[in-house]
Amino acid sequence: MTSTTLPPEPRTDRTDRNRYLSALRSWRGLTGLALVGAAALAGLLAPLLTGTDPNAQSALALAGPSAEHPFGTDDLGRDLFSRVLHGIGTDLALIVTAVPVGALLGCSAALLAATSRWADLAVQRAFDLLLAFPGLILALAVTAVLGPGRWPVVIVIALAEVPGFGRQLRAGILVQREREYALAARVGGASRARVLLRHVVPNAVDPLIVQTAVALSLGVFIEGAMSFLGLGVRPPEPTLGSILSQSVAYLATDPTFAAAPLAATTALVLGFTLIAEALNRGIRR
Amino acid sequence: MTALIRPPAPSRRALLRAGLAGAGLLTLAACRSAVDEVANTSATAESSDTPRKGGVLSVATGVDFTPSLLFAQSANTLVQRLVFNTLTRYDDRLRPQPELATAWEVAPDGTGVTLKLREDVLFHSGRRFTADDVVFAVKNLQNPARSAQLRSTAAAVTDFRKNGDFELTLLFAHPVSNLFDLFEFMIVPDSDSVEDAVAGTRLIGTGPFTFTDRKPGSSLTFTRNDRYWNPGRPYLDGVEIRIVPQAESLLSSLRTGQTHLSYNVRGKDVATLRSDPQFRIKQYDTGAGAYYIGVNVTAEHVGDKRVRQAIAWAVDRERFVQQALGGYGSVSSVPWPKSSPAFTEAGAGHYRHDPEKARALLKEAGLDRITLPFAHSNDPGATATAQILQYDLQQVGIDTVLQPTDSPTMQKQLISQSMPALWTLSHGFAQLHPATLAVSAYPFNEARNSSHFTSPAYTDVVQRAWNRGDSDSPEAKALYQQITDVLLDEEFVIDLAIAGLVEVAGRKVQGATLNKFGYLNLDDARLTA
Repeated sequence: MTSTTLPPEPRTDRTDRNRYLSALRSWRGLTGLALVGAAALAGLLAPLLTGTDPNAQSALALAGPSAEHPFGTDDLGRDLFSRVLHGIGTDLALIVTAVPVGALLGCSAALLAATSRWADLAVQRAFDLLLAFPGLILALAVTAVLGPGRWPVVIVIALAEVPGFGRQLRAGILVQREREYALAARVGGASRARVLLRHVVPNAVDPLIVQTAVALSLGVFIEGAMSFLGLGVRPPEPTLGSILSQSVAYLATDPTFAAAPLAATTALVLGFTLIAEALNRGIRR
Repeated sequence: MTALIRPPAPSRRALLRAGLAGAGLLTLAACRSAVDEVANTSATAESSDTPRKGGVLSVATGVDFTPSLLFAQSANTLVQRLVFNTLTRYDDRLRPQPELATAWEVAPDGTGVTLKLREDVLFHSGRRFTADDVVFAVKNLQNPARSAQLRSTAAAVTDFRKNGDFELTLLFAHPVSNLFDLFEFMIVPDSDSVEDAVAGTRLIGTGPFTFTDRKPGSSLTFTRNDRYWNPGRPYLDGVEIRIVPQAESLLSSLRTGQTHLSYNVRGKDVATLRSDPQFRIKQYDTGAGAYYIGVNVTAEHVGDKRVRQAIAWAVDRERFVQQALGGYGSVSSVPWPKSSPAFTEAGAGHYRHDPEKARALLKEAGLDRITLPFAHSNDPGATATAQILQYDLQQVGIDTVLQPTDSPTMQKQLISQSMPALWTLSHGFAQLHPATLAVSAYPFNEARNSSHFTSPAYTDVVQRAWNRGDSDSPEAKALYQQITDVLLDEEFVIDLAIAGLVEVAGRKVQGATLNKFGYLNLDDARLTA
């Protein structure tokens, strides 16, 4: 009598969901969710939370916090409460647009790499090329061609995320396609595309969930850096980076100017990082 | 009997923490002491104020030196008077003083000037300076490739008559009221190396310092010229000009003592240094920097002067001076500073903040809401300026699309007349004789200005003001008033505020001065002990 060993059952959606949920229920996950949730809610509900036009200027420049201006005013007399809230909204809109685009491009490139050795070589070199450019150099290059604005920020964030997603998925595919279940599927007559898309990819996406959280925090950072250098969204539209950039000149004399945008940026970056770490630990468990 | 309870011994971890905290506090205290020591040393130095030879002065500037604009007024004019000399230099009351020319005599009809030149001047190459070099310097400015704003004045020189090597008569096609503006502006280069100079590879002049090195975008260095004609000068061993484009970094370099002197600190940053005893702040009241909105009159909508006047009424100049310039400036609708013979209070206050009047003018022009491109330099100060103006214009129905542009590109666009409908910059030349502004400054030049504005009336009055030997007579002032009237009516340049250069110097620095074109003169500069 011969006994056969069945290949390990690929994970179901339900078990995956439970692992993610339990990861997010850890103290890291909950803290991250709370930070991101609070900041995101403030940004999304900005029009309801404040009726002040974020671009309305006045003679009351660099005023400290008061009942009328809870976070004070900036150097052009604009209400910082309104600007920070709208700035969070702008930042979230940018990264929520850019990160999926980067993920889609990176994953598509990884799938292409899985089709042949030559494609793999070409895709890897393309990733190397993108990684060779530090994010800010990439930003300078893109804005040199397109000029500053919303779309250049989206393009830079998306391009910066492509190698991360691509390499994560490629590494997952390389591991998973050598597993027994993939071998069994091939022996069973499934086509290469079917094995890849139906069996291998669903089991290789775990790291991408973590990567998404990392990419969101990186997106906030890149937007901030670009706006800080004057390469980001055109003024007077508020973003966290541009408000921070303005406030630097007044750190010594008016430290409250920088406090609110700094807190919001920290909340978003720290929140996304904690979520990423919680998911990573949950998946590895 | 009760036993004594001994407090628990501190754990190793607690000891380590305490140790680290103590070390941190000691470090902070040490830093504090160092700062105090520096402050005390400065105070002592100030009290003793001992002039001494030697030392390298470090000057911070926000804009890099552009060699191709060596003979033009550009954003960085610190190099000119370090390496080169001019024929004369103005004192505070616009009276010419000797430099390479020791004496001069203007012909009674104003069509010639005879110059006596110094005989002890050597170029850095060792060649002797003679009258031929003055001839070359004038012809060099006549060359359109040099983009010199005072080219029209140089071009009025039609002939040269030499009387030996050190006496020369310049003959003019007509009298010019701004002759000494030309002599203040015109640096005397070495004819053998002038092309190297505009390429930025070799700068040979007769000035107090010799050019040693240039790292584009980073720094320029100079060493003392031991054969300088001014006895015992310069005191300094050398000068370093550091290019620090970020305003915050520039401020930080001054605060930390990495640099000693700057003329590029933003007005609102200067305001934060006012109470700091480490610094000496001096405001030049020459009004070399007048802030304005330029208008390309060939662009859509703004060809109508009512729209341009609406822009002039829309801007809140008081707020602009406070928020963009940190209070270092004065509101003005005209380019002239108070020191100018063309200045009048009525002209300066002609346009006030009146949004209603602006809207009415737009309506009169048949416009309700318009959108215009608006270029500005991409540094933080100019970006803030542009946002203030953008907001004020938006309130009267003029939407603008901001176009941040780097400084050298703005300068090129200004010279090549390729500006968009609106732009904002600052201009010089109003601090001199008034005719110089209208025949030399790119925004105002009656023959070819950045706005593409032409008007027979403007040309006529400017030419009459320029083609005369005197500049302060009642007739001359009447002509200046006519120029002012044209400018206020046509508003192809909408002046906002006059702000002179502000010198921020560490307490150790003494004796640095600027000429009327912002050329840095360090002949008498020194670093006190």
